[in-house]
Amino acid sequence: MIRALRVFLIVFFSSHIMAQVPLDSIQRLDEVVLSDIKLKDFANGYKVTVLNDSLLKKNNASFTDLLRFNTNIYFKENGYGMVSSPSFRGTNASQTAVIWNGLSINSQLTGQTDFNTINTTNFNSIAIRSGGGSVQYGSGAIGGSIHLNNTLSFKQHFDNTATLSYGSYETKNVNYLSSYSNEKFSVNIGLDYRDSENDYKYLNTDQSNENGAFQNGSINANLGYVLSSKDVLKLYHQSFIGEREFSGTVSSPSLAKYEDQNFRTMLEWSRFGTKSYSKLKVAHLQEHFKYFGNKNTDNFTFGKVNTYLINYTVDIDLLKDLKFKPIVSYNYYEGSGSSFGNPNRIEFSTTALLLYNPNEKWHYGLNIRQDVTSGFESPLLFSFDMAYDVSNFYKLKLNGSKNYRVPTFNDLYWQPGGNLDLVPETSYQLDLGQEFTYKNASLKVNTFYIKTSDLIQWTPNDSGFWSPENIAEAQNYGAEASLEVTHKIKAHQFSLQGNYAYTVSEDLETDAQLIYVPYHKANINLAYAYKRMSLFVQHLYTGEVYTTPENLSGTFYSVEAYQLTNFGLNYQLFKTKSQQIDVSLKVNNLFNTVYENVAFRPMPDRNFNFQIQYKF
Amino acid sequence: MKKIILSMLAMSLLIVSCSSDDDATPSAPLGAYEDGIIVSGEGSPSSISFISEDLTTSENQIYYNVNNEATGVYLQSLGFNDDKAYIVVDAGTITVVNRYTFEKLGTISTGLTTPRYIAFANGKGYVTNWGDPFDETDDFVAVVDLTANTVISTIPVGNGPEQILAEDNFLYVSHKGAYTTNNIISVINTSSDVLTTTITVNDNPDEMLLDDNGDLIVLSSGKPAWTGDETKAAITKIDMDTNTVSTTLEFSDGEHPELMTYLNGNLYYNLGSSILSITDDATAVTSTPLFTTVATTLYGMAAKDDRLYFVDAVDYTSAGQLFIYDDTSYSLINSFNAPVVASKIYFN
Repeated sequence: MIRALRVFLIVFFSSHIMAQVPLDSIQRLDEVVLSDIKLKDFANGYKVTVLNDSLLKKNNASFTDLLRFNTNIYFKENGYGMVSSPSFRGTNASQTAVIWNGLSINSQLTGQTDFNTINTTNFNSIAIRSGGGSVQYGSGAIGGSIHLNNTLSFKQHFDNTATLSYGSYETKNVNYLSSYSNEKFSVNIGLDYRDSENDYKYLNTDQSNENGAFQNGSINANLGYVLSSKDVLKLYHQSFIGEREFSGTVSSPSLAKYEDQNFRTMLEWSRFGTKSYSKLKVAHLQEHFKYFGNKNTDNFTFGKVNTYLINYTVDIDLLKDLKFKPIVSYNYYEGSGSSFGNPNRIEFSTTALLLYNPNEKWHYGLNIRQDVTSGFESPLLFSFDMAYDVSNFYKLKLNGSKNYRVPTFNDLYWQPGGNLDLVPETSYQLDLGQEFTYKNASLKVNTFYIKTSDLIQWTPNDSGFWSPENIAEAQNYGAEASLEVTHKIKAHQFSLQGNYAYTVSEDLETDAQLIYVPYHKANINLAYAYKRMSLFVQHLYTGEVYTTPENLSGTFYSVEAYQLTNFGLNYQLFKTKSQQIDVSLKVNNLFNTVYENVAFRPMPDRNFNFQIQYKF
Repeated sequence: MKKIILSMLAMSLLIVSCSSDDDATPSAPLGAYEDGIIVSGEGSPSSISFISEDLTTSENQIYYNVNNEATGVYLQSLGFNDDKAYIVVDAGTITVVNRYTFEKLGTISTGLTTPRYIAFANGKGYVTNWGDPFDETDDFVAVVDLTANTVISTIPVGNGPEQILAEDNFLYVSHKGAYTTNNIISVINTSSDVLTTTITVNDNPDEMLLDDNGDLIVLSSGKPAWTGDETKAAITKIDMDTNTVSTTLEFSDGEHPELMTYLNGNLYYNLGSSILSITDDATAVTSTPLFTTVATTLYGMAAKDDRLYFVDAVDYTSAGQLFIYDDTSYSLINSFNAPVVASKIYFN
């Protein structure tokens, strides 16, 4: 694919560009395709894991499940399909940044992203960048960041994929992806609709998940146009409209309902010079929710934030081995909601990234950022990273950074309680990575330490209501290992991919493990393919989590450890040069395990999903 | 042999019952939770704790231990009638248990919407319901058939009915106002199950009790300053013969008591975690505390037999605490672990 693109670009630039062709452009292939180049070029000392589109298309899993089974990230999901928030290296939900084509899309209201409001099939790749990334990605990138990427290539093609699936609990999914481009114009569109009664049985009881139905639709539309030999214009858009019932707990039914509407649009203009390359981005993001305490009435509370953003960056080759990338960004946030009037916030940030690659073995990065924000002071942020290729088999990576999480609109303006004296949470982190590669096997081992101060916590105050304050301090440390092995014997292909994480996340005042952070989490994926058939088995282990600060075990104090297995089978019914039909069957919770992810909120029993996919 | 023991037992019972003239009929223990203190916690997870009357034993999550199921979110209150306890959960259910064993006997699961408190009169149960808390016009008191455990009718009342107190054939309902505010006490005749009158008091009336003179005492918290429209809290005395206010003792601005209890002619209330008291004939409230409890977040209080009981919701996520104080020396007698967001104290 990359090679084909490269060939194409050579052809493209040589045939369409007059006299002085900037030869550098050929090396700038990734800049054309990707919107977020930082993730590739300015993250040498970081562990970056990429889940590619074939996995996204094949799996037909929720974003939460995809990451739960394929990465070290732990999720706290309030029952299947309900609000789902990550804990990345033991940090809390507002300390993981979600990045859409280079822009942070964490809610300005809660500081976090609800992972069940994102459908993954419409993205070309999802990358997980471990470690602090606030310098590059702003507020919330403390434990790490998760990147949703759409790519636009200018290689002549026209590909379509239509997918239909049906499964237990009347779960229906229709998805259509189309991608077309010629030399000047590139477009890719993804449409997705899913709908589920989600009324799974609570195992070992006579109850079921009564108020848990959901339906949502999303549209991703991305366009690219080559204006001239030096200029490319791109437009990215994503809409998500969802409606969910909020299920109750095992002993309490619920009547609540939640509606999400998220719209994201970004226009990007790239300009290629001989020694530099610049990008101007203008974007509008809108998040809007409505909460109905009783779905049978019209009474609701709401929150809405519009974000307007303008961002300019230049990549400059100062020397052959020294790259400099300044970024300036202006964000304007305007909110409205039932509980906080119409506040707004202005944020101006300047960032400088420096990349030094003295030779093929050594890579260094040094980054700094300063924000100027209305309402509170932001700290000076920095990060450094280095990578050293010790040998062909062994690579060392090191990064350290200071990161932050700014107070949200809820923290600042909620009535009553909002506290205008808050300062951002700040965090220092250090991460040492080792990568071993041998033939078709790779092993990544990381150890990390994070210390966060001024953690914002809502506590009851003397006036009889809750108010947030910068009071807590926490430290997280632990180790992660990821193993990947592929093997081929004649027509038999095997692959194994596994992750394990040990995470300590302590409140520094009490030395107690924070709630909803498991000490141990592991997953393993085994796949086998032979000719037209392929199958996989996924297994997940999640350790016990405490649900109260006292670190006691038992029904009222913790959620038990659980193991979960999924199984999938895929068969290629039909294949020609230009067409292909695949059918697949997936069994989730193969062994009908009784488990909870959040206390008193049972998760689904064994369930099935049948999928048919047509590519043309 | 068995017969001999039984007859000896019977004989001894006879002797005991003959020798004691105040206890009517002595009996075998009714259940593990017969004599003691019951503390309920909103959660989540919600739960109920028991502490024996002699304070020697305590047990958390008693409902779960007996029935192997949880009590749901959010456990608002408990009500007691004869040998039954009624566990009122906001989500819309009431679980009926034997009050001495806590064994589940049944549930009332239809006809309730955001139920708050239950009282008993005329052989029926009466449950205050907010309805949809956003709707100020759908609030009601549900009438419960205590044999069938079903809601048989509803009595529409004003916004945000909270605590409910039965006296003879009448019910008194304080209207704290659910998500907003209210300032009335509804009076319901349980012979006809109709709302007979409403009595206006200061804003946000919640706790109610009967004093030794047979007057109804109501604690109104007033609207706090952060609402931008502060109103005064008050202790109001209501003459239950005429259903009119006889005395209103107002607090100063900035003072918003939320809890109240009564013991030996003293009315106790709180300001934050400090405890204050006035006598029946007081003509003004006091701002001078008797003592300050060790509670971080004082969330409930009760009194019995020369002891004052307080529950602490702490940070609303950790296990709560029950503190027991002597009512004359105001010294801490004992403390126990209590449910998460411990809120109510009852005596069995």
